[in-house]
Amino acid sequence: MAKIGIMSFAHLHGDAYASCVLANPDAELTAVWDDDVQRGQDAAQRYGTTFIEDMDEFLKQGLDGVIITSENMKHRHMVEKAAEAGLWILCEKPLAPGVEDAQAMVDTCKKAGVGLGIPYPCRHVPALKEVKGQIDSGALGKIFAVACTNNGQYPGGWFGDEALSGGGATMDHTVHVADLLRWYTGKEFTKVYCENGNVLRPGLGTDDLGVMHMEMEGGIAISHIASWSRCDSFPTWGDVTLEIVAENGVIEVDAFNQKVDVYNDDDVKAQWVGWGMDPNGGIVADFVASIAEKRDPIATGIDGVKSVAVTVAAYESARSGQMVDV
Amino acid sequence: MNIGIIGCGVMGELHAQLAAECGHRIVACADTSRSKAKQLAKTYKDHGAEAVKDGMNVAGQPEVEVVVINTPTPTHGEFIKAAAENGKHIFCEKPLGRTAAECEEAVQAAKNAGVKLFVGHVVRYFHEFETIKGLVEAGKAGEPGFVKTYRGGMAPQGEGGWFRDVAQSGGVVFDCSIHDLDWIRYAFGEVERVFCQTVHETKPDVIDYAMVTLRLKNGMIGQVIGTWAHPSGFRVKAEVCGSRGVLQFDSAQTAVETHMRKTARGDDPSVIVPGSPVDKSPYLLEWEDFTKWLNGEGEPRVTPEDAVSAVRIAEAALKSAETGAPVTL
Repeated sequence: MAKIGIMSFAHLHGDAYASCVLANPDAELTAVWDDDVQRGQDAAQRYGTTFIEDMDEFLKQGLDGVIITSENMKHRHMVEKAAEAGLWILCEKPLAPGVEDAQAMVDTCKKAGVGLGIPYPCRHVPALKEVKGQIDSGALGKIFAVACTNNGQYPGGWFGDEALSGGGATMDHTVHVADLLRWYTGKEFTKVYCENGNVLRPGLGTDDLGVMHMEMEGGIAISHIASWSRCDSFPTWGDVTLEIVAENGVIEVDAFNQKVDVYNDDDVKAQWVGWGMDPNGGIVADFVASIAEKRDPIATGIDGVKSVAVTVAAYESARSGQMVDV
Repeated sequence: MNIGIIGCGVMGELHAQLAAECGHRIVACADTSRSKAKQLAKTYKDHGAEAVKDGMNVAGQPEVEVVVINTPTPTHGEFIKAAAENGKHIFCEKPLGRTAAECEEAVQAAKNAGVKLFVGHVVRYFHEFETIKGLVEAGKAGEPGFVKTYRGGMAPQGEGGWFRDVAQSGGVVFDCSIHDLDWIRYAFGEVERVFCQTVHETKPDVIDYAMVTLRLKNGMIGQVIGTWAHPSGFRVKAEVCGSRGVLQFDSAQTAVETHMRKTARGDDPSVIVPGSPVDKSPYLLEWEDFTKWLNGEGEPRVTPEDAVSAVRIAEAALKSAETGAPVTL
């Protein structure tokens, strides 16, 4: 039975992972810690576990692993503390808003001999795994181009505060697809061009749209839209879509388009009710297994660094107005 | 008016039919393929249509008042100049030309001759695009910040496969995405800079795919994807996002869907003209607009300068794709 602790509920995924830990027969939610005491206490009560106010005390609870779902800027400190305590770590994406921080976190975990993983749900979505299988089968032949989107609703709170998030929609919604494409192709990103800005929600402190062009090794052309463009009345949270143009055909993917359209007079808006698999269960199950098997989770710290590097290059491009090397 | 059709392929046939519907007479049909010219002339036998080998002869034919140019893009300029010199009004399929310089010359020639030059940027007449534009103007997206379009399907052939020769056609950017480049400019304003990536492959089949990002002068961002990379079909999508809403259109969600194994003629369709289940097709609306202009009733929705601007954006896109750098207009 893996003893899991959760550090911070600043990111809304904290709740998703907590539920998955409770549902996992091989894990228990031993304790939670949060720098926001009220938020931490509420979460502990919600999930029937203990809240520990002091971080060092929390790390001495005999835990096997921690899940970190704090603001992006606070990841590094928590990862270092947990590694020092010898715990397996699953750290919410992006690992850190900068490559140096992200790499340092990987090095720390390696030195401490603990596993470090990034919860990239796309690696656990059946539709996206099926595409991986189609690519690996060789049926598609050479991949020439991929047009991607990761649209979403504005998550609110600290996401719009650059001091805590390190960036806006470009930061929030690029790493998933970057990781997915690295996984699909086994190639690294080489160049990025980005047009971004605060063009949708007036007065936001950060960008809410990033439109990117990227190149991968071997000259694969990639376009990507990272946005918080889905308005409050949009029937679902957002999307991950890919159009993969290859030698022998085209695959169009709308990863979360497994839904029933619901029109109900008591609801204010039309809604999509999904019937697809919850990828968070797969993320937590893999994390729990990685502790028992003394390995990194499926998406490793290095994967986290590589996808962060793409985001960092995107911001650099947006500043310089040129295509930049990753 | 008396119409001379230059280029009797799919678009030539369509424009002849629409011109006839607007009350014009088809008097000459030119095509380098004698059989195509004859076939179309036969359809308009009642109008007195004659088959001609060389389009230049149509441009110079005394009874012709309007020429309709549906030939491969690089030939547009010469036909326009010849028609203008002979005092004919001109309907030219998009794109106006293969380069902005050629287009400017053609527009100047028409201006000098005092003839009317209309370019077939028909998307401005498509009901779905007009509806989106109207909704944006009515504030249904709030303040718009992002526009995205998607257009294409299988690569068209054209006589001798000229569509598939980027040197001639400019590929999917010049021949397909140009509709969207024009429409975005029409609906949202001038373009500041362009970035583009293209894929041009010839094996195992022609694959032409283009991804264009636009930054508009008003700060909006646009993305235009054009595909001649699909094994079949034709699809159009559009999306506008703003401070208060999202507008989406997808041609895959349609009132009528027909799946034919063959065209009525028994061949595989090589150039797909998207249809619309409406009383008046966008192509007819375009011809009505042009006809009004010919009759001296108001200005058309597409000006010659609009057509030059669209080519200028497309040219910038191809330059960006070649250099890997953004191109400022």
